[in-house]
Amino acid sequence: MVPLVTKDFRRTTLRPRHRPIVRALAEALFSPAGEATPERLDAFVDEVDHFISPASKTLRFGLVMMLGVLRWSPLFYGKFTFFDAMTVDERVAHLERLDRSKVKQLPLIVVAYKTVMTMLFYEDPQELAGLGYPGHARKRYLKVAS
Amino acid sequence: MTATAFVPHAFDHARHHVPSTAERLPVLRGREQTRPFSAKVDVIVIGSGAGGAVVARELARDGRSVLVLEEGGHYSPQEYGALPPSQSFRRLAREAGMSVALGIGDTPLISLLAGKCVGGSSVLTGAVCFRIPNEVLHTWSGELGLSRMTPDGVDGYFSEVEDLCHVETVPHHMRSRASELFALGAASLGVEMKSMRRNTNGCRGAARCNFGCPNGAKMSVDLSFLPDAVRHGATIVSDALVEKIDITGGTARGVRGRFLDGVTGEPGIPFEVRAKVVVVACGSMHTPILLRKSGLDSVHIGRHLTLHPAVRVGALFDEAVDGWDGALQSVYSDHYWNEGIWLNGVYSAVNVLAAAFPGIGHEHRRLVKSIPNLAFFGGMVHDDGGGRVRRWLSREPLVTYKMIRRDKERLLKTIQILGKMAFGAGAREVLLPIFGMGTIKNPKELDFLSGNSLAAPRIECMAFHPLGSAKMSTARETGVVKPTGETWDVANLFVIDGSILPTSIGVNSQLPIMGISMMLARGLVDDFGAHARKAIA
Repeated sequence: MVPLVTKDFRRTTLRPRHRPIVRALAEALFSPAGEATPERLDAFVDEVDHFISPASKTLRFGLVMMLGVLRWSPLFYGKFTFFDAMTVDERVAHLERLDRSKVKQLPLIVVAYKTVMTMLFYEDPQELAGLGYPGHARKRYLKVAS
Repeated sequence: MTATAFVPHAFDHARHHVPSTAERLPVLRGREQTRPFSAKVDVIVIGSGAGGAVVARELARDGRSVLVLEEGGHYSPQEYGALPPSQSFRRLAREAGMSVALGIGDTPLISLLAGKCVGGSSVLTGAVCFRIPNEVLHTWSGELGLSRMTPDGVDGYFSEVEDLCHVETVPHHMRSRASELFALGAASLGVEMKSMRRNTNGCRGAARCNFGCPNGAKMSVDLSFLPDAVRHGATIVSDALVEKIDITGGTARGVRGRFLDGVTGEPGIPFEVRAKVVVVACGSMHTPILLRKSGLDSVHIGRHLTLHPAVRVGALFDEAVDGWDGALQSVYSDHYWNEGIWLNGVYSAVNVLAAAFPGIGHEHRRLVKSIPNLAFFGGMVHDDGGGRVRRWLSREPLVTYKMIRRDKERLLKTIQILGKMAFGAGAREVLLPIFGMGTIKNPKELDFLSGNSLAAPRIECMAFHPLGSAKMSTARETGVVKPTGETWDVANLFVIDGSILPTSIGVNSQLPIMGISMMLARGLVDDFGAHARKAIA
């Protein structure tokens, strides 16, 4: 990466109490069969925090509130447990149920975090290579010369 | 704080101007400013995007002292071109790319992308360039009485802008395989796909225009208009949040604001600039906020926002598509123009595309792994002005949008058309932009879109062209600015950006904003003497 002349603002959003929820969500989304290492998941929580922190106070507050709702959301379906205390398979099933919910706000929680986290998770060069993405290599423009 | 004539070295010069390459635009970085600052210039331009950059260039070339104040940071093309997509978003886009318009009633939540950097949203466009359609101009000049807004009246300005930012037709060989399949699917419905025009010079088909071109080929305003403005004496300051326009006796006199703190990103060190003319070019989401904060009270401020709600449909093929090889966008169709639908070829960064795939866990991963075989087809709706921008709890506005029934039907029809095109091109599975819905494998499964039964909040919708929240009009009672761009309420205060467009235009907005801005900037140049006399009086 080219060194940036303009230095980043240094602020964070996630507090220690939020991190297990984000990690549990990441594990359900990207590592249902243990594909990602624990270290990768821990580092990923930092990536999420880094990404959302430039947003406005209002949006960051909303994102943190969503984590709170997600944590308690198993109660909506009569399960007396927290989201981050569920097994990975239970979390996947729970997220699928939230995603299909007719209560307008519940799918938005899944969509908001899934969108941000998927974008970050699959930006990892190893993940991209695993998908067959060739990096900077391009062929079509070379046809100009021919 | 003392009032001084503006000179760049009034800043902490050694700390902020470190050119890394010969091409780096000299921008003063407000986040590194440690002292209050004041200045006096002829013209302040607030915002450095497609509107502000054009105005700054024209007035600087006319010999005026011009100061451009930009809230966002400055990143050179070498810097942003090397950033991964998410890192581009977090530095170049408002809300790190997570802005939304909240849907009211039967309306989807609409994801909004807008730039917050030197160059504004032009850095984040797909480089697509369309002129304002003649039908729209006829409405403006005929029904709305904006007599200069005729095809002939704007033609010269558009031609000049197209020349300055190198608008060219995408050659056939730069069409990605995804675009070729889109054209093939369209042909199966009897729809012709045409080649787009884009402001590029030396495009290498990296298919990531909207995160900043990695090859410096997209001629966004930080590469076209702003360097010319600077060559003619304009000064650009980044990280400078204008909080209020100073108005005395019904005439704009300058602005006040604060530089964003280098650590927290929150407003810190104050600045104050006096000027003969103030031009607001903050875009449709922030121009209304600044006008309101400055005391303007027209009921039209913040209303009539149009968005061009857009959707994209994924098509999974047996063949390898490798949609990342080729121009990000290269084909379009105006076949459904009379029905308010515009079709555009689309692609994006792989990880950004993956973010919108349906499913959780294994199912989502299955689709992500098939990304080399996926193409994307896009479309947008020529909408009514159902949006509204309001001040809210933080610096970012509350944007709401109420979609009328006609536009919802257009949106559903767009999805249906795109789905049919995908199957027509030979897709074996189609990913619809509907939350909680898996892939479909048969065109008949699109039939549910024919009625109006699907709840709009289930539609995954996005918008890239917020327009019209401070609209132009021929009478004070019907708009915010005069046909010259000057506000009805305050002399010497101009709005020149996408917010003044009086209706939805139905096509990508970058070139229309530039063309109209050029026209208004030339008018301001011609009348500058009169405005300067008003300022002195």
